[in-house]
Amino acid sequence: MTRNEFMTRLRQGLVGLNPDYIRDVMNDYESHFDDGRQSGRSEEEISAALGDPGRLARELRAEAGFQRWENARTPGNLVGAVLGLMGLATIDIMFLFPFLCAMFGIFVGFSVAVLVMVVVGFALIIGALIPGLAWFGLTGGPEVLAMGLVGVGLVALGVGLGALFSMIVNFIVRGLVNYARLHFRLINTVAAQEV
Amino acid sequence: MSESLQVQLKKGVLEMCVLALLSNGDNYAYDIASRMADAVGMGEGTVYPLMRRMQNDGLVTTYLVESASGPPRKYYKLTKSGALALKSQIADWKTFEGSVRKILGEVA
Repeated sequence: MTRNEFMTRLRQGLVGLNPDYIRDVMNDYESHFDDGRQSGRSEEEISAALGDPGRLARELRAEAGFQRWENARTPGNLVGAVLGLMGLATIDIMFLFPFLCAMFGIFVGFSVAVLVMVVVGFALIIGALIPGLAWFGLTGGPEVLAMGLVGVGLVALGVGLGALFSMIVNFIVRGLVNYARLHFRLINTVAAQEV
Repeated sequence: MSESLQVQLKKGVLEMCVLALLSNGDNYAYDIASRMADAVGMGEGTVYPLMRRMQNDGLVTTYLVESASGPPRKYYKLTKSGALALKSQIADWKTFEGSVRKILGEVA
């Protein structure tokens, strides 16, 4: 493969990622070719030693997706990170897909539940604090106090569960990423040994 | 040694080897890649995703050095936490290597 072919295929594999990130990656491989030429290797030799640009792009893409999820734990970034991981191995999608769907469903469901808990909790606190609001027909002082305390409890529970849950999700994603890294990082070497 | 065992072992020590290389002095990716390829048969292209990840993990930082020929060259430098990671990985490796050697000694 010539330098141009390699760079073109790499760029194709990275389409859709942050332009700055793509430029950075392309620069890395351009200077690799420069350095290789200076030490007297041909473009063919250099690109053969680099490995399959499509696979490199998939690995870089998975890494970038994981990084975005680390920076901002949003459902969208979770999907991105998981898709990036799945891009590493097409066969594994079939095995992982039901599991990942279930995981995502649980993630969304739990997020909504936590949100509702916090919102209801705040509503109860506000209801207890504003004297004129006689919610649920509660009028007595002790009853209103109880309502406020239940509100505080719900908010605290929601925040606690939310934190616990995000730790668990992060743990699972990290596990998947480490598994993927361990299994795909050296694939070029394996291919090279087989040739 | 069977090929699969070799590959599995190499996978585990790639990061440690790169950290060790950088502990001897700052270096640029092409040189790291060729050393790793010579020493453990790592695919040269894989060094870039690995360096990017190590940078994201705060184990290494980069800086640019103007070069006489061509564009400035990116150098990698070990951070404090990279040096700590290397230390603990070497300790893990020695423990592991020692226990395997002990078991192998009983067989041989």
